[in-house]
Amino acid sequence: MTEPSDSDPRDQIIAARARALSGCASARRTIRLLADGGSFTEYGLLAGRTTAVDDDGPSDGLVSGVCEVNGNPVVVAAHDRSVEDGTHSDRNMRKLAKLTTIAITNRWPLILFIEGDGSRTGDPRPVPPIVNYTRARWDVLEGLAELSGWAPTIAVVTGPSRDSHNALAFLCDLVIATSDVDFGSRIDPTVSVSATDAAAQGHVDVLVDDTSQAVSATQRFLSYWHDESSNFSPAESAADIANIVPENRRRAYDMRKVIEAFADHDSIFEVGAGWAQSLVTVFARVEGRPVGIFANQPLSPRAGAIDSAAADKASRFVEWCDAYALPLISFVDNPGYMVGPDAEQEGIARHHARPLSAIHHRSVPLYTVQIRKAYGLGPFAMSGYGASRKMPELRVAWPSVESGGMSLEGAAYLVKRKEIREADDAATARTIRDEYAEEMRDVASGVRAGRTFSFDDVILPEETRPLIASMLRRSNRTLPPEKLHHIDTR
Amino acid sequence: MRDFLINKLRAAKALRFDASRPEAVNKVHSTGHLTARERISHLLDPGSEVEFGAIAAKDSEGEWVPERGGVDFIGSINGHTVITSSTDYTDRGGGYGAARLEHLISLSHQERWPIAFFVDGGGSRARHPRTGLGHLELSGQIGRFTLFDGMAELSGWAPTVAIVSGPSFAGHASLAGFSDMVIATSGSAIGMGGPPMVEAALGLTLTPQELAGVEMHERTGGIDLLVDDEPAAIQCAKQYLEFLWDQPEGQPHPFAQNIAELVPESGPYDVLPVIQALVDTESVMELRPHFASSVVTALARLDGKAIGVIANNPAIDSGVISESAATKIGRFVELCDVYEYPIVSLIDSPYTTIETPEGPKPGVSRWHTRVFQTQQRRTVPIASIQLREAGGFVGHLMAGSPTGHHVPLWQVAWPTAHLGVDDSFTATRNFDSFDDVIEPQETRSGLSRLLAHVAPSADRRAGQSTKKHNIDTW
Repeated sequence: MTEPSDSDPRDQIIAARARALSGCASARRTIRLLADGGSFTEYGLLAGRTTAVDDDGPSDGLVSGVCEVNGNPVVVAAHDRSVEDGTHSDRNMRKLAKLTTIAITNRWPLILFIEGDGSRTGDPRPVPPIVNYTRARWDVLEGLAELSGWAPTIAVVTGPSRDSHNALAFLCDLVIATSDVDFGSRIDPTVSVSATDAAAQGHVDVLVDDTSQAVSATQRFLSYWHDESSNFSPAESAADIANIVPENRRRAYDMRKVIEAFADHDSIFEVGAGWAQSLVTVFARVEGRPVGIFANQPLSPRAGAIDSAAADKASRFVEWCDAYALPLISFVDNPGYMVGPDAEQEGIARHHARPLSAIHHRSVPLYTVQIRKAYGLGPFAMSGYGASRKMPELRVAWPSVESGGMSLEGAAYLVKRKEIREADDAATARTIRDEYAEEMRDVASGVRAGRTFSFDDVILPEETRPLIASMLRRSNRTLPPEKLHHIDTR
Repeated sequence: MRDFLINKLRAAKALRFDASRPEAVNKVHSTGHLTARERISHLLDPGSEVEFGAIAAKDSEGEWVPERGGVDFIGSINGHTVITSSTDYTDRGGGYGAARLEHLISLSHQERWPIAFFVDGGGSRARHPRTGLGHLELSGQIGRFTLFDGMAELSGWAPTVAIVSGPSFAGHASLAGFSDMVIATSGSAIGMGGPPMVEAALGLTLTPQELAGVEMHERTGGIDLLVDDEPAAIQCAKQYLEFLWDQPEGQPHPFAQNIAELVPESGPYDVLPVIQALVDTESVMELRPHFASSVVTALARLDGKAIGVIANNPAIDSGVISESAATKIGRFVELCDVYEYPIVSLIDSPYTTIETPEGPKPGVSRWHTRVFQTQQRRTVPIASIQLREAGGFVGHLMAGSPTGHHVPLWQVAWPTAHLGVDDSFTATRNFDSFDDVIEPQETRSGLSRLLAHVAPSADRRAGQSTKKHNIDTW
């Protein structure tokens, strides 16, 4: 390394830049993977750990700037553990505050690659006039809160993350994590929440194997924000969509298969697969147009019933799509809100209202497809109440629909309770219940549902894609000129 | 002919009073409850009531039988208009006719009148005659509010108070769940699915209490207040609603000058007496007291003006902010924001915690970060007083960003505050960021002078052309 010349400021800068550029190798590599070739404009390259020109903390451990991803501008910042364990300092946080401000001003997505040990211990506070006092500007946490619901924020957790690093991640719309990372605290170094556990609690949205997968996921997610695609085709399974729901109305099926058959080929991006598994939430495309799809999962342990976690997940997803101006589609097949002492302890009597409220307060269209069960208040969590000021723009059902105040089996149980209790064995009891349920089947049937105008139409499964595509063609996606609301992080 | 009509009307109206049905009334009284009409008369100023649907009746085989699923009124509490409604469980378990409530919700939305309802009962009355299934008409009735979107719309616009003094399930529980404030009496229950449904779905035979007792909800945050009986619940509902209107003055607490004695330099202390000493005497109404008690949320008055108080409570778990405590703060800040109650935040907490299989541990999760969002969006003024500690993200949770775009109105510390610079998030909370360091006994007078510059909450509410945001039910 050449010693900087005391007399020549030009040489000094050249040397300092070269030194800084040679640092934070892993952060720089990640940004190169993400950015369109040569598009990265760095901010604060020379902002080192101290104020000295020969600072040995390149970029103060945070490589940050603006670049293009598939031709669209984004703001990016990547932490690097090679400098002070990737810790946050007054200096690198002011860098991030500046970039957050740029993201807010331009409504550009913000992507944070996160790893590091929280705040830097003993960070010397810089003194004016070298820096301006930060009061009455965006601080980073406040900036991220402001950005929420205005432009996308994506956290990619690439290494162990502590305290303030976790706070940055958990303020973002989308949290991607590589499966080997953990979340902890320096206050108690024994605390270590694995990425998988964090995903199971709804704190991480997408788990990936490595940084390169994380970058691909980021690029893919950005595509739903940026634009439509004219290059699309139906899924290979599209023609078979009618065969996914089993003839036996008590048999479960995988709702993901319905979504796959409905959406464009290879267009699905699932978020939150690790938690609240009775509800599936995906970003997808239909005839190239980005949409948000939320659907009950009959295959899940709670058979698609909406418990507190599923209510939270639905509510957050609706807010998310609303903020991104993505039309919503729901596929409904749930036996109602979860009941019983466990569900009540989890607060379902409170949480159940969250999706109803999110759906009511939305500005984007909602298209609802009732596939099978619509019992109790359950369908409202997926579509809002039908007769209201804010009804779904389209509510259709498949012929397999069955609806009512409670499940056919539940109602049959209550009507036949005496006989069932007096039955000789459990099998007989079940037969009494199920036979009566079948008998009631026609009362709750699709044709009846259509005749009572409970649905705008009852359609064949294979008609679903063309029908909703036609509705999407009619509604242009426009981002609201003002921020409507933030996207609740939980 | 005219006499005939008038007599018929009088006869119909006579039927609505409790006096015309002594058996039902006795039955209610024998369980220690008030009748629907008695509840309303306890709540409203005498002589202020206007009844809706007084002679509503149902056709039962040619006979008009009075409709007692519930009673609905407009009236006033200390001269301020409220809407109120009570289910009447002497009639078919208090099953509601949705149309009644939807009318009240529409009226509340239109006039921004608060609603206080008594919601014990088992949900919708609509049942298919043969199957027992409720068949819901999902389309039609364009442009009017229904229960659920109506309650969502009211949230953050017109105050809603639910009083639960019996089993409340399904649709009734939903009304409670949507409400800003839920007051329950001992022994009642709130649940999404009642005992019959739980028996049918899960094969469990449980009493309402075992299934979803309010004592459980008191610990898990499902309700705001638990009281002994209906008169106490009604008193609380009144007190809560009266915070909407400032009083001309308030009496300082006798201990106000000695407030410093309540906070030791280190170790635990109960923050509730500190709050009581700071605000007008007898004005504190603590909400969700037994849920996440390491933080206290309370409505109170200072010089008669309604304020919201958030305070860490070092007496419980050293005052750490758990995920539940964060939730409690966030929802309370939303409530204060929409109804324009200035917030006083008393800060003394070492760090935030997350739930782990080994119990609460230091950490931060989305349950905390969502409160950063709430604080960022808040526009009602906040004054923060750091009593001792503000570690980690505590300051952001309790008062929002100290260096942000939307600054706290007043940010002060007591001399007992720990001002050590140990990390960048807390560094900016230190000396040069405080507006002042004050002696504890100056806190009340300081807040008093400050609040003199803030318009009364009723005026600030009148300045809202649309609602700011809803109050999240969780």
